[in-house]
Amino acid sequence: MTPAEPVAADPTDAALIAAWHAGDEPAAAQLVRRHARALARFLAGAGALAADVDDLVQETFIRAFRALGRFRGQCQFRTWLMTIGGNVLKDAHRRSRRARVVPLDDDVRATDGDPHERAVAGEAERRLAAGLEQLPRMQREVFLLRAQQGLEYEEIAAALGTTPGAARVHYHHAVKRLKEYVK
Amino acid sequence: MNDDATLDDGKLQEVARRLGARAADRLDVERTAQAVVTRLRTEPRADIRVLGSIRPAWLRIAAALVMVVGAGVVALSVRVPLLTTPVPPATASGELSELSGDELRAVLEAVGQPGGEQQEVSPQDLSLEDLSAPQLRALLESLEG
Repeated sequence: MTPAEPVAADPTDAALIAAWHAGDEPAAAQLVRRHARALARFLAGAGALAADVDDLVQETFIRAFRALGRFRGQCQFRTWLMTIGGNVLKDAHRRSRRARVVPLDDDVRATDGDPHERAVAGEAERRLAAGLEQLPRMQREVFLLRAQQGLEYEEIAAALGTTPGAARVHYHHAVKRLKEYVK
Repeated sequence: MNDDATLDDGKLQEVARRLGARAADRLDVERTAQAVVTRLRTEPRADIRVLGSIRPAWLRIAAALVMVVGAGVVALSVRVPLLTTPVPPATASGELSELSGDELRAVLEAVGQPGGEQQEVSPQDLSLEDLSAPQLRALLESLEG
C-alpha cells in the first residue's frame, strides 16, 4: 500500500475513511476511538450482554471496515455503523441463543447520587430493556437511534432503508408499547 | 404528532439515554482500537470467506436443478442408443446355409409352426429376425432346392 497523506488534527469521518482506504491504519484506529462508546451504548441498549459488548463492538468495526466500499454516505458513518452493529448482535443471539439480560447489579453499583434514586433509575432501565426485547427489531432500532442517539428521522430512514414517515410510525409504536413497561 | 408531547414527562427518553451508558464507560476504547487494527491487518478478508461458505438458497437450488437435468440428459443419451441402435444382422444366415437338408428340416420342426401360406422368400433379402414362421419355412424349402 502507498503511504497516505497525513490527516488533519480533527478530520472528518470521510477523511479518515479515505485515509484508511489509502492504507493509513491510524485512521482506522481514530474512527474506532471516535465511535466505539456510542456503538457500545447502542448495542447494550439493543440487548447485548455486558460481557459481550467489547467483542461485539470489535466485530462491528471489523465488518464495517470490510464493507466500507459499499458505504455511499447515505447517512452518517456512525449511524451506518449502528445498523451493522444490529446485524452483528442478531447473529450473536442466533449463535448463542442466550437470554438477553441487563444485570441489575450494574445499576446498584453506581456511586453517585441518592441510593434510592439510583435504585429507581436502575429499575426504570431494567424495565425499558425488558420492553425493548419485546419489540420487533425495526421498532427497537428506530427507537434507540431516535431516543438514545438523538438522530433525525431522515437520518434513521436512510440508515435503515426506509422512509422518514415509516421511521416515525415505528418510533411511535415503540414508544406506545415501552411506556407500558416503564411507567 | 409531537414526539416531545408523546414523551411529555421526558422519562422514557431520559431512561433511553442512560441505557447502555455503563457498558460504554467500561469499554476500553484504546484497547478496542488496537484490537480492531490488528485484526484488520492479520485476519483474512471476511467477504472472501462469506462468498466461499454462504451461498444464497437460489444458487443451491439452481445447482441442484442443473445436476438433475444433466443426469437426465446423460441417462437419455445412454438409453436411446440402446433402444434405437439396429440389431446387427443375424449371422445365423451364414450358418443356416451351411446346414444339411436334414438339419434344416429338424430346425423347421423345432420351430413347430404349422405350414401356412407358402411364400416365396429369396435368400438375398434374408433378415431372419424379420421372418415369420411360414416365411422361414419357405426359405428353408428354397434352400433345400
